[in-house]
Amino acid sequence: MKNKIYPTLLLLFGLMVLFSFKRVRGNDDENLFAIPSNFPKPTYHFKSNPLTAEGVELGKTLFYDAIISSDNTVSCGSCHQQSAGFTQHGHAFSHGVNDLLTKRNSMPLYNLAWSTSFGWDGGVHDLDLFAISPITNPVEMNESMANVLDKLRKSQNYPSLFKNAFGSEEINTERFLKALSQFMLTMVSANSKYDQYMRLEGVELDEKELAGLEIFKQKCASCHAGELFTDYSFRNNGLGVAKVEDLGRFEVNQQESDKHKFKVPSLRNLGYTAPYMHDGRFETLEQVLDHYAGKVVKSEYLDPILQQNGKLGISLNSDEKMKIIAFLKTLDDDYFIKKESFSESSLKTVIPKKDILDDVKKLSFGNEKHQLIMNESLVLYLKLKDAILKKETNKAAVLANKLTLSLDRIERKNLDIASRVYFDKVFQGIAFDADHIIEGKALAEHQFDHFGELSANMFRLMSSFKPSDKPLFYYESSEKKFSWLSNLSNEESTPTIKQYQFKDLKKRALLP
Amino acid sequence: MKKLFFLLLTLLGASNLFAQKTTSLSIKFDNFIGNDPVELNTKSYKNQAGEDFNISLLQYYVSNIQLVKKDGSVYTVPQDDSYFLVRQNRPETQTITLKDIPQDKYVGINFIIGIDSARSAAEIGYRKGCLDVAGDAQDMYWAWNSGYIFVKMEGSSPQSTLKENIFMYHIGLFGGIGDKKTLNNIRNVSLAFNKETIKLKAGKVAPVIRIKMDASKILNGETTVSIAKNPSVMGGPYSAKIAENYKSMFSYNGIGMPAPTEKTSLGLK
Repeated sequence: MKNKIYPTLLLLFGLMVLFSFKRVRGNDDENLFAIPSNFPKPTYHFKSNPLTAEGVELGKTLFYDAIISSDNTVSCGSCHQQSAGFTQHGHAFSHGVNDLLTKRNSMPLYNLAWSTSFGWDGGVHDLDLFAISPITNPVEMNESMANVLDKLRKSQNYPSLFKNAFGSEEINTERFLKALSQFMLTMVSANSKYDQYMRLEGVELDEKELAGLEIFKQKCASCHAGELFTDYSFRNNGLGVAKVEDLGRFEVNQQESDKHKFKVPSLRNLGYTAPYMHDGRFETLEQVLDHYAGKVVKSEYLDPILQQNGKLGISLNSDEKMKIIAFLKTLDDDYFIKKESFSESSLKTVIPKKDILDDVKKLSFGNEKHQLIMNESLVLYLKLKDAILKKETNKAAVLANKLTLSLDRIERKNLDIASRVYFDKVFQGIAFDADHIIEGKALAEHQFDHFGELSANMFRLMSSFKPSDKPLFYYESSEKKFSWLSNLSNEESTPTIKQYQFKDLKKRALLP
Repeated sequence: MKKLFFLLLTLLGASNLFAQKTTSLSIKFDNFIGNDPVELNTKSYKNQAGEDFNISLLQYYVSNIQLVKKDGSVYTVPQDDSYFLVRQNRPETQTITLKDIPQDKYVGINFIIGIDSARSAAEIGYRKGCLDVAGDAQDMYWAWNSGYIFVKMEGSSPQSTLKENIFMYHIGLFGGIGDKKTLNNIRNVSLAFNKETIKLKAGKVAPVIRIKMDASKILNGETTVSIAKNPSVMGGPYSAKIAENYKSMFSYNGIGMPAPTEKTSLGLK
């Protein structure tokens, strides 16, 4: 009997050890998450939320699905775009539902497994709890959590996606939030030129970059510390009065000394994440360094590092600034912003999208004058498209203004009620995006984002009112969230369009 | 092998024999303004500052319950079963039931107003039931500054300077976590059952402990809260004054037998 029991016990014990080891490690799928060899240990509690391929897939689907917002128009991916390092192209502030504006620049999402707090003021201490904030914020997604879960339960796809991820179709708060975290945790950015240099992967920094790194270590790394380029502290960096008063960390803890303090952000992927600072006030890195070099504003709780020996700011001459910027560019992780598995197009379950044709109605302008205005507006629109695609930002701003003025000539009082209501609504949308194209004349990406939505509205007008008999085509790329109208049936093969590499271009003919 | 089996059987039997006999115990929270039971919307009250007001919403968390035994020791309700959200507009939440209370003689009760800091900072897996941020706790949770609202009272007063004369007191903050230090508006409550001793015996119907909650204390206490001056209090420093006020809003209100209606409703289940 003894002979039999001991080996069995030993085997059991062995199994227990093995099992607990696996559990403690949390993640054993290195394809989903691995610690880069030049990084410290992550802080996220993987033990209670081990990543699985199915969990990450569910999280990714949720991340890109606008079902999370109150009017099903805004997804996490709307303000956190992969090509912009998971912040929003060219936007100082982001647009939530009903085109309301946030008061802070959306933070880029990467290396969240190492972050010790979330948001510019660090009001949330656990990644799992963060998503509740944008979902329930009236100027972001303006939705209740209970409603989100309810919509997911009633959806076609989610019960089975939850079952794949968690073993049963039950959809609850914990599963929903953990799945979102799982996807966001996979967003590790550690493949920049700098990383490859540090890991001795056969990549060298050039002389200027190396000089920049040295200056950076002396003058910047006390806050932008370590391989994550932040010490996760909150500091007042002497930015002057903002357009929107924002007390930063004070708003979460009411400590007088924390007024106007914001999280020290990481500096990876700066090449994709402009504009900069919590309110996106600087459009270029030159402006950022000019701020630290000579424009730091003194206030009671200005960070001591920025006022040493009675001098404000950091002493930097223009040569040093240039070298620092050269170094910062080595932190751009091209692999990260192009990695297929982070993109919406890699989803196994395609998110059902509302078809734009559902918005098209049979309406009439009633008179020829209006048709003429509409066709003149279309000409302006096509010129605007040309400027946008060629990144002629100033020209685009002028044309966007002209387009709004042109469309505004439509005399609403002469339209029938249905046509008037429809026109007004779509016109307001066009005016909104046109305003942003006008105001974002320094940022091509910002104009590009708004032009896509403006085009969708032009499509709605052209196909609902049909002012012309000429052929018109509507091109749509859901991956880049871009669309445009054209007279050409083969515009996809022109060099201007080809350079954008739209992978999933759809074309619709708008027949007379 | 047989011997082992018998040993196991004996052990099981013995553990059953020594298992503590338990019963369940209900606590009814009676919400008052002074000596008047709270009536939402319809009734007008007056505070110490002399302002008229009515209440449209009143709800609060009670947690970490301990029962004090006659010998001075305490029985602590298991942590996961010790969180309750009492809502004025949902009478069924005003009676809470503690299960598996050991039979003994009890002379008092301790609890906290709010959610302890450990649970306030806990991972999502520990936030079930009335702590579910997408469920019951939805209107009692600050998402952007993660934490529960402990006591929430809203209403209107002609003296309020806010739109539509409303006032809002949303009091939370558990002290913060890590290097985020905040106020701590959790308050401890200890109530003796006057000089009564409640004997709990398995198999017998337990009495209902009645606790009076006087919401007027939120406004009237060490600090006389003026609705005109402070119509909206949330995360700011003034919340600590309200917490100091509300710490004495609970009092022991006698014992009663379960009301017949409650029995019927149980019977229907």
